[in-house]
Amino acid sequence: MMAAILRRPAPICATISFLFILAIWQAAVDFGFVKAFFISSPSRVALELVRQAKSGEIFTNLSVTLYEFIVGLIFAVVIGGFLGLMASWSETVQHILDPFIWFKYSSPTIAFYPMFVAWLGLGEVTIIVMAFLFAVTPIYANTLSGIKNTDPDLIRAAISFGANRRDLFFKVSLPASAPLLIAGLRLAVGRALTGVVAAELFGAAAGLGYSMSYYGQKLRTTEMMASLVVIMILGVIFTQGLAALEARAGSWRTGPGR
Amino acid sequence: MTQTLQDMATSGRMEIRDLSITYRKPKSDEVFTAVDGVSLTIEKGSFVTIVGSSGCGKSTLLLAMAGLIPKASGVITLGGLEVTKPGRDRAMVFQDASLLPWRTVHGNVRFALELQRWKRDDIDERALRYVRMVGLGAFADYHPHQLSGGMRQRVNIARALCVDPDVLLMDEPFGALDAQTREVMCDELLRIWERDKKTAVFVTHAIDEAIFLGDRVVVMGRNPGHVRDVIEIDLPRPRTNAMLDSAAFVEYRRRLREYIAADLAALQMVEALV
Repeated sequence: MMAAILRRPAPICATISFLFILAIWQAAVDFGFVKAFFISSPSRVALELVRQAKSGEIFTNLSVTLYEFIVGLIFAVVIGGFLGLMASWSETVQHILDPFIWFKYSSPTIAFYPMFVAWLGLGEVTIIVMAFLFAVTPIYANTLSGIKNTDPDLIRAAISFGANRRDLFFKVSLPASAPLLIAGLRLAVGRALTGVVAAELFGAAAGLGYSMSYYGQKLRTTEMMASLVVIMILGVIFTQGLAALEARAGSWRTGPGR
Repeated sequence: MTQTLQDMATSGRMEIRDLSITYRKPKSDEVFTAVDGVSLTIEKGSFVTIVGSSGCGKSTLLLAMAGLIPKASGVITLGGLEVTKPGRDRAMVFQDASLLPWRTVHGNVRFALELQRWKRDDIDERALRYVRMVGLGAFADYHPHQLSGGMRQRVNIARALCVDPDVLLMDEPFGALDAQTREVMCDELLRIWERDKKTAVFVTHAIDEAIFLGDRVVVMGRNPGHVRDVIEIDLPRPRTNAMLDSAAFVEYRRRLREYIAADLAALQMVEALV
């Protein structure tokens, strides 16, 4: 038991530090150091989550947020991936896209929000556009560099055996850049969630971000934190799942063979 | 498959006539001549080695035979047909790092068969047969990063042979290996080659390797790359390591060293003048 802990200390340490913070938080409220009104407490948040689950409120918000998140992400993957591929095939396309990518990289994406509110109004469409804008850059950048930086020795060897463009793409460039493409997707997932929640905070009729801002304005800390917990769990599930996929896709680089 | 007598006589015979290859230096109009006026005949079933100091254009010449780089002038024919692009009649063994790292040993050999559109139902079995032939049967499911340099080159050789080319082109395949592994690999290469004696062209900068493997050694010199001499190696086959110390071998080695030394001396003179 002890030996096992020493061999894999990371998850144990993480669990202990997490539980420690929860305990301090709970104790600080229970022993009256801080008012629950300000910071709520783990037990209150847990009870609130149960209440919202029973009333269905949490699922309504979750499904709205998930819908906006997934649609935004799909647009980002399709458009970002397509543009990334085009740019990897043609330097001209890459140079045409360059200024837009620079603007996008060097300015905070949220600054575009008021513009889209003016064009599209408050609500679902604007939120989806924000999720798209947040997520599209890493998809584009990773697709471009993944396909473009395929080892030229591999390309040359494949050509020497008679590979055509289609073979080169599907049998060499695509598998060679798989780890980078999945890394781009993992970044995009985290950013799309940021975009959805940020946009929902300012103008929405439902969703987890809306719920947080609604309860926040009424100073109902517990209800607000319940939604925050759901958002955090959502983010962790997506990014950790993709990190695991990424490790598998890149296992040929360092891991054991199968 | 039916072949005419004409095909039988010329398939696997490579003819190079007045070949020149030039590169345009990047970002300038300066043209650099890598290979100049090379003529060479490689008989069917012979093992020809090309030796020369680095920068003499020997790898460039081989890449042109593979159809991977354009010619400035001259003609290369294989079996009477002009070589202009990579084809099923040739297969190439590269120096290193040309295995797909995400594919297993078996998958890498299979890769060549897939690219040449071999019938789906027997490529698995055929790939495995060639993996076994190079002595890697127990490592068929390993990935390249788990193999030693020598083992990776065995995979490279299996990949080139499994597509059944008329000519095997090898670009310093043992260049990155240590001396002991090199010797083992040379023995192994000859053992495999003796089976069906495919036409083989082997580029190297190691003189002993060139003599030990070749029926003929083509000596190249530089500025620009040209053929200085073609030496017939009159040693019996199968070749053995004992021959490395024979009087004939030592004499070949001495002659080749002189050529290379003269080439390097000429280079130093040019550098001194510049």
